[in-house]
Amino acid sequence: MSLTQKEIEHIADLARINLNDSEKEKMTRELGLILDYIGKLNEVNTRGIEPIAQITGLENVFRSDELERPLSSVEKFLLSQFPDGANSYLRVKKILTGKK
Amino acid sequence: MMDIRKLTIKTTHDCLKRREFTEKELRKEFLSLIEKENKNYNAYLSVFGEENPEVVEVKSNHFLAGVPSAIKDNILVEGKKTTAGSKILGDYVASYDATVIKRLRKHGAIFLGKTNLDEFAMGSTSENSAFGVSKNPYDTTRVAGGSSGGSAAAVASGLAVYALGSDTGGSIRTPAAYCGVVGLKPTYGRVSRYGLIAMASSFDQIGPITKTVEDAAIVLEAIAGKDNLDSTSVAKDVLNYSTSLERGVKGLKIAVPKQFFSEGLDQTVAEKVNKAIGKLESLGAKTELVSLPMTEYAIAAYYVIVPSEVSANLARFDGIKYGYSNRSGKDLLSVYQNSRAEGFGPEVKRRIMIGTYTLSAGYYEAYYLKAQKVRALIKKEFDKIFEDFDIVVTPTTPTVANKIGELDTPLAAYLADVFTVQVNLAGLPAISVPCGFVEKEGKNLPIGLQIIGRHFDEKSILQAAFAFENS
Repeated sequence: MSLTQKEIEHIADLARINLNDSEKEKMTRELGLILDYIGKLNEVNTRGIEPIAQITGLENVFRSDELERPLSSVEKFLLSQFPDGANSYLRVKKILTGKK
Repeated sequence: MMDIRKLTIKTTHDCLKRREFTEKELRKEFLSLIEKENKNYNAYLSVFGEENPEVVEVKSNHFLAGVPSAIKDNILVEGKKTTAGSKILGDYVASYDATVIKRLRKHGAIFLGKTNLDEFAMGSTSENSAFGVSKNPYDTTRVAGGSSGGSAAAVASGLAVYALGSDTGGSIRTPAAYCGVVGLKPTYGRVSRYGLIAMASSFDQIGPITKTVEDAAIVLEAIAGKDNLDSTSVAKDVLNYSTSLERGVKGLKIAVPKQFFSEGLDQTVAEKVNKAIGKLESLGAKTELVSLPMTEYAIAAYYVIVPSEVSANLARFDGIKYGYSNRSGKDLLSVYQNSRAEGFGPEVKRRIMIGTYTLSAGYYEAYYLKAQKVRALIKKEFDKIFEDFDIVVTPTTPTVANKIGELDTPLAAYLADVFTVQVNLAGLPAISVPCGFVEKEGKNLPIGLQIIGRHFDEKSILQAAFAFENS
């Protein structure tokens, strides 16, 4: 199984990671080898086997939706970590950039 | 003061009770030891200095009260830097305590600092840490193992009495084996994952790295149990593991899977492990060779499902709300792309890429679903074995700790996990206990024996490990 550089670029795009040219080249080679190895799984007959959903068999776990501690007690930690913010607001770049 | 390097939880507790030293004095001793020696091993990434508020007075009578510990740096401690070994969280400060930390605090535990790990716990050597490799106390040209390499190095070198690690595919057991200490990976769901920075959520478990089996039992007792904040944690009784250790192994039925003794296993390691199995027999256990044919596919299934979960879990690190952020681009998308490009290291990027691919349109069924079916078969194989046997015994790793830089391709590094990943795929509990040394290049290097149990039967593996340790 080998991936083309174009496929690598598409995956990187989906994963929101910029790759430089040497990374793209390396990633193409390494992912190809890893996918080759993973291809082993096709040797296993899995007809009629249900895929694992939860390993210890839990289903539908519920809890009451109650506040554990007041938001004010964590607020200062959270606000102080904003890479770009002012007066308790988080600032982000524009999403729509017009024409490409 | 006595040599604090040798202290176990039990002996520390006894010394504190007899007032041979106070909690404060002991903590100070450890801090100065870390100051002097951490550079030799790179075990700690950060140390909680004197300003530490929780130190003051320990009122609890618990075994853990006043006993200094080290915490893997992917477990949140409120108000403290938590990096997960990644540049993208290089300045991140945790806003709450993980449930395990809350539970340890309740018993008066003392935290010395945070320990090194492969970036986001991805790796088995700690070479993938953004902050340098953790070195093996038995030979500093070799790795301490990973991903909880800092925790194992800290305990083995005596820079902490015990430590917490996390195990997704061997990350507690492998470094414990390489560093000659005890490492316990509990059953999936036994210990709350709340406040553990998620790598692969259907695999991750927090567990202790200690100097003795008894210490591991003490820590497990303290951290285990249902937590409403982790819906995968299970409401099963947490037993008094530490007071029920002395059952022995008489009549215990032990399965030895032949696939773990085939190619790839270092012959000197095999000898020691076979000797250990002989010892269990001489203590009254019945051992039998069994077959786990799906062993061959464990790594492949693991390296589909784990990267898939990784790609989803790590989507949150985008340079917007916290962590490393590159805002030089013109739009929001470029902030994501540049922050992630510069914040993540090569192995993390690789796994995100694999996982993004295996979950992407057209490939989901061929890879992810297929792997989850193989995972079901792996679990079934173990279920079958456990109908007839109480525990399964194997080597923890195929070799001793490798040289720093020795595993030079991603696939070579993945294949080193061959004896540990199945346990996580099947959600089982397993412990690695020291079983001797092998001489390599004039240095004695430790080896680990892995004991695997049924779901939620930590009791049996602790009892067997205890019997072996004390024989």
